[in-house]
Amino acid sequence: MAETMRVIGDTLPGVDRNAPLLEVDSLRVEFQVRGERIPAVRGASFTLEQGRTLAIVGESGSGKSVTSQAIMGILDTPPGHITGGRVLLHGVDILEQDEETRRTVRGNHIAIVFQDALSALNPLWSVGFQIGELFRVHRGASRREAKRRAIELLDLVGIPDAKNRIGHYPHQFSGGMRQRVMIAMALALEPEVLIADEPTTALDVTVQAQIMRLLKRIQAERHMGLILITHDLGVVADVADDVAVMYAGEVVERADIYDTFKRPAHPYTKALLRAIPRVDAVGGELEVIRGLPPNPAALPSGCPFHPRCFAAEDVCADEVPPWIEPAEGHGSRCHFAEEVYTDER
Amino acid sequence: MGRYVIRRLLQALLTLGIVLFLLHYLMALSVQVRGNPALLFFGGDRTPDPAMLAQVERLYGLDNPCYERTGDPCLAPFVDRLQNFVRGDLGTTLNGNRDVAELLSIYIPNTLRLFAFSVITLVAVSMVLGTWAARHRGRFIDHTVRGTTILADSIPVFLILLTYVYIVAVPLTRWARDIWGTESFMGQVFRPSYNPDYPWTTIIVPGIIVGTVGLATMTRLIRAAQLENLGSDFVRTAKAKGLKPLRITVVHVIRNSMIPIITGIGFLFAFMLSGAVLTEGVMGIPGMGRMIFQAVQRQEGNLVIVGLTVSAFVVVVVSLVVDLLYAALDPRIRYE
Repeated sequence: MAETMRVIGDTLPGVDRNAPLLEVDSLRVEFQVRGERIPAVRGASFTLEQGRTLAIVGESGSGKSVTSQAIMGILDTPPGHITGGRVLLHGVDILEQDEETRRTVRGNHIAIVFQDALSALNPLWSVGFQIGELFRVHRGASRREAKRRAIELLDLVGIPDAKNRIGHYPHQFSGGMRQRVMIAMALALEPEVLIADEPTTALDVTVQAQIMRLLKRIQAERHMGLILITHDLGVVADVADDVAVMYAGEVVERADIYDTFKRPAHPYTKALLRAIPRVDAVGGELEVIRGLPPNPAALPSGCPFHPRCFAAEDVCADEVPPWIEPAEGHGSRCHFAEEVYTDER
Repeated sequence: MGRYVIRRLLQALLTLGIVLFLLHYLMALSVQVRGNPALLFFGGDRTPDPAMLAQVERLYGLDNPCYERTGDPCLAPFVDRLQNFVRGDLGTTLNGNRDVAELLSIYIPNTLRLFAFSVITLVAVSMVLGTWAARHRGRFIDHTVRGTTILADSIPVFLILLTYVYIVAVPLTRWARDIWGTESFMGQVFRPSYNPDYPWTTIIVPGIIVGTVGLATMTRLIRAAQLENLGSDFVRTAKAKGLKPLRITVVHVIRNSMIPIITGIGFLFAFMLSGAVLTEGVMGIPGMGRMIFQAVQRQEGNLVIVGLTVSAFVVVVVSLVVDLLYAALDPRIRYE
């Protein structure tokens, strides 16, 4: 597809091709609720390299989806406000660009696949129209050209009989096929970064595997950066290269996939891994993390995880833990990161 | 779809047939109970020559003996009437012997004008207010809009009309005439009554007043529809696709908000019909509402039947159009 080759500098001036694909640096997001500012993301930092998959893992309310919406620039404002940090795409801070440029970035460079494709697609327009819309708006394509490209995309994501399906409406597709349509739409303009926000949560297990394989295949073909937001550690183990664990609006641990699973350096990650049900441990009690995720309006003092932590000491309630790197490229926000990493705690 | 339309049209035909029969039966009862309307032909209070009376009765189809028997549905005259209607003969009035079809050609355009202005008012005002309230949900503007529209809706339409005609219209007209002159648009628009020389201008204000019927309902429908769509996932998707706000509103919000709006217009139509009777009466507009009202007073049975059948026909057609618009707007709605 030579005619679609393009240079990122055309639409986003000042890019540095040597800089990391996407770098999120101490991103902060607050929500204005009844005059009160409630922090939803409190300094999320991570880096995504081209061709890699970064999994963002965390409980509901840990700020994973808000982070992705802030990166996309589709946060509902009000009540949400980005109050700090940088989002660098090839070294350019997209948070500082004007609205026109940001709109070009959306779809063109960063695209997102949402969780529930049935509600994320407009029920009154055919899938062909909704995919073709991207070519028409961003590329000035004709109706006919847009339709041709939409058919190609449906073929690409494995929807049989794409020629006829193009005129169908979202409600005429099954859950898995609808998610494929969502993916086709996100892939339309060949973005460098694809964010998949719990792409398989609404699907049944066999379809989940198909969708993940599809995402993985296309990512490899196009050498895209993929951010996978999920709470399913099984999926993470399957597809991710790097993992960022979020708790109470901040990234508490960041490492490659091997280290995360073998030698977690944060008690929260450790507890999450222990909570995975195992087929070879029949009869034993399933481990859980006691307590509930904290209320973002009233976070515990010190380390926000300390009330639920098995390794907590007095210092955890008083002091915010620093970012410690027990190994090269493996960081954790815990006072006892070294001990947890070496399994002394 | 085609079969659905045909089925609906056949249903409509049946509905109209039932309406016609009920009207005919009521009319027959009124003749049987209230007395011979043919007397009206002679002015009502004089006693005419029996031979002439018999001739008039024959002329209007009132000579059938069934009109003497209280409770008789008078099927034979009903069949005659249907045959006449099918041939395109709508009959004549007893007072003045005027052709009913000709009367309709005068009255229907006036009522259509009234409806045009009131539908425009209703849709325009409620669209603006509903959108405005949706953008400011939960704030002062939202509450003010709700309060005002409910107030406007709960005042009976005749009260608004009387207030306008007896208190507002005359000083306003005098003021406008002093500035712009009697023959200008402004000099005519505030008149308290209809002027046949200005059939459009003098119907604007009554149209606006009829349009306030159902304003609150409509505003809240639009507000709710817009709120639902503005916060929906597919609008978020549209933003993520990098579409401009205007395109999002036009392509992804307005079309999705149309269904409740069309439903609203569909059922407010019936309310507006009754509002039209009052408005045409008070403002002196020679329209269908006033025609039917006067026909009832004067025992013009045929005119009552024709007028009410026309309005039944309009309601049937409007509801069919509403249903077809649903399917045109929403692919999830299919009629088989």
